[in-house]
Amino acid sequence: MTRRPLGHLGGLALLAWIAVAQGCSSTSALDVGYPDARSNASLLAAAPPRRVDVAGVADRRSDTERIGTSSKSGKTVVTTRPVPDIVREALLLEIVKNGHAVGTGRPDALIQAEVNDFSLDGVDGFSFMQYVGRVVIGVTVADARSGQRLLSRHYVGIKRSRVEKASEEAGRHVMDAALARALHEFATDPEMVAVLARVGS
Amino acid sequence: MTGDLMAPGLDHWISRLTAVAAILLLALTASGCAPSTTTPAAPPPPVARPAEPTLSVAIVGTGQSQFAVDEPSAQPGRTLDEVLRWYPYGGMLRPLAGVLHRAVNRYFHTDRGRTIDPALPTPPSSIVGQAMARSLRASGRFTEVRVLDGEPTGDGQPADMIVRVTVPTWGVMRVRSGDPDLVSGFVDARALMVARSTGVVVWETEEDVTAPQRLPLESLTRDRDLARQELVGVLERAGHRLASELLYSRSGEL
Repeated sequence: MTRRPLGHLGGLALLAWIAVAQGCSSTSALDVGYPDARSNASLLAAAPPRRVDVAGVADRRSDTERIGTSSKSGKTVVTTRPVPDIVREALLLEIVKNGHAVGTGRPDALIQAEVNDFSLDGVDGFSFMQYVGRVVIGVTVADARSGQRLLSRHYVGIKRSRVEKASEEAGRHVMDAALARALHEFATDPEMVAVLARVGS
Repeated sequence: MTGDLMAPGLDHWISRLTAVAAILLLALTASGCAPSTTTPAAPPPPVARPAEPTLSVAIVGTGQSQFAVDEPSAQPGRTLDEVLRWYPYGGMLRPLAGVLHRAVNRYFHTDRGRTIDPALPTPPSSIVGQAMARSLRASGRFTEVRVLDGEPTGDGQPADMIVRVTVPTWGVMRVRSGDPDLVSGFVDARALMVARSTGVVVWETEEDVTAPQRLPLESLTRDRDLARQELVGVLERAGHRLASELLYSRSGEL
């Protein structure tokens, strides 16, 4: 059985279409996250083990459609997963890594969180691109029994990095690092530790 | 014969099934009556919790700091770079272009740097060290946190750990393109923690720190107090950032 010439042409056409579609795509999607391997128990573990409920994270960004725009190509930069989901997963991971239980039994503390900023800026330089990633997370802790609000804080993570060539990988790395910094601020906040020690005692 | 052999086995299985059914019924009833919120929680994962603090630390600001107003978009160099891309031997000329670009930048930077230099009364590394000390004290993870003016000598109570803080560069940097471009204060800080008894480096980090505020450069060149406030703010932020990373990475051992 011989291949039809149209099959070859069809294959070439498909390849060309993929190349054009990728080149002309107006969106660049970054798989931003907070990997398990990069988190560990820290100051937050100084509070006795608590049961914590984390509500859905509210998206309070001024622009919820994108995290940035590529300065050279004009592409819209987005995340592969919804930003509130990324932030909630990161918070849950940090809480559990510090020895507190999430979503089991009657909670001692309720955490409400919101994303105020989650953005990536690219600044063209001489022979390099400078990325600045910013993550601002608002966290409110309430006593689960009384409902009383105990603490309200904002955690800011900013990472900047210069690379020779602009790339999605470099942008993702910067956003990962900015998110990690915001989470480290959360996990090493002495007031957060004090509040968690107080609830349920 | 067969029926005789089967009869005791059947009775046995029926009684076993009845017992299992009774247990299941009891369990279902109990769970149905119990309030859902009192479901026993899964035990939290075992975590090594920080012990009582036993270590004291002394922080020393050290080294030279260079103040810079860094605008990476300087057009002469960028344009030359773009031209060299199309020139066959552009790669060979690129180092020369870099030197030319830096010379142009230095001229502009020096000029702007003078305009917004906040003339701090203390070295930048000292401000970073003070802020780091405040954050470490607030954490409660050290028996004592001191800030020293210089390297520790034999006088006085020695600290268990010495943290040396340096700020190689700090200043103002363009962080968003636009009209006008927006700038932020920045600090590149390093910290090195050494065990005093052994001289072993137990922790070190390099942190790029950027102020959250973004302002037009002109607002800083016009208002000296605002510039000073922004730059001191980002230096203090750098101290807090160093403390946060120390506490995050070493809490289990402090």
